[in-house]
Amino acid sequence: MDADVFVIGSGPSGVQAAIHAARKRASVVVAGKPSSSSMSGTEIENYFGSPPRPGDEILAEGIALAKSFGAAFLGQNVVSASAEDGRFRFSMEDGTEVVAKAAVIATGISRKSLGIPGEKDLFGKGVSYCAVCDCNFYRGRKAVVVGNDSEAAVSAELMTRYASETHWVAWDAEAEETLARKAAEAGAVMHASKPKAIEGDGKVERIVLEDGTIIPTDGVFIELGARSSADIAMDLGVMPEMDDSVKVGSDCSTEVPGVFACGDVTGRPWQVAKAVGQGCVAGMSAADYARKAE
Amino acid sequence: MVTELNESNFDQFVDSNSLAIIDCWAPWCGPCRRMGPIVEELASDLQGKAGVAKLNTDENQAIAVRFNINAIPTLLVFKDGVLVDTLVGLRPKEDIIAQLGL
Repeated sequence: MDADVFVIGSGPSGVQAAIHAARKRASVVVAGKPSSSSMSGTEIENYFGSPPRPGDEILAEGIALAKSFGAAFLGQNVVSASAEDGRFRFSMEDGTEVVAKAAVIATGISRKSLGIPGEKDLFGKGVSYCAVCDCNFYRGRKAVVVGNDSEAAVSAELMTRYASETHWVAWDAEAEETLARKAAEAGAVMHASKPKAIEGDGKVERIVLEDGTIIPTDGVFIELGARSSADIAMDLGVMPEMDDSVKVGSDCSTEVPGVFACGDVTGRPWQVAKAVGQGCVAGMSAADYARKAE
Repeated sequence: MVTELNESNFDQFVDSNSLAIIDCWAPWCGPCRRMGPIVEELASDLQGKAGVAKLNTDENQAIAVRFNINAIPTLLVFKDGVLVDTLVGLRPKEDIIAQLGL
């Protein structure tokens, strides 16, 4: 699938970027799940022109508007991205490939930690937030992957190639079916219960689930949500800041020509109004860039 | 450029620097790629005070096992040849310098 502008993220910033890029007659494809926007499930009471109302309502209307201008919404997360020969290439959860002339990073900020006992103390002593980074240290050892989404499925499948035993803890599974099946077929043992604590004396020895299951393990890989904004930025050649935010200029451009960013991923304040404002700028900048990139 | 260590020169580097800081990394590790420039800066800031080097844990697994590395990026800190600190995870240069007490 080809696009002038590919928007990563379907929260308020990504949707506004899609609206403005599409109105400039760019072909626009949008990735991401609106339900994972931080606007979803909250009441928005400080947004111009709108009485206090559910974020999901505003989001749904925004998406309908963007669609009416021709933007296509995939409803799926990006699994990997790359930049070559002035084009940006994205793989989606179901294997769909999108090649775009300009990219807009509107991923928001991702939650990385579970916040359960033992997690912080055992970081680097068996607790890891990057299966791709640390899989090699678990050859012939036991591993538990924690997470509901496709990123966890990919990580679980990866760990089966290294670990002697791989478990996948997903209490509210929403990973793409093919990826989940791949992990299960590779031998990952499924557990449908929320993690309660990570335990061990100086190193990870076991993880305890809310249903009482105790899994003895050497490593716990926490892979929540989608591929992180920092990882996607780096895939595209943009170096994130220490807090994972992406630095942008007044036109929402990043250090890489053709890559723009807007919304929470560019740093505080994490507000709908700011996200929408930057989305407008990023969408227009990206559409202009794509037109010149013919 | 920061020295790249391997099995053959690791011990020698640690022994010949009264303070040695080794950045353990691997090519496919995103946070490690972000740590790279920080370590480069650290090396020039600490010139004369510490020896700073890099170790690719993918190519040097025996050393990773020897120092019990479970996650990268990890900084191994040696004083007079003895491992005194293991700093796991991406962190700003200022934090590293503060942690080292420099």
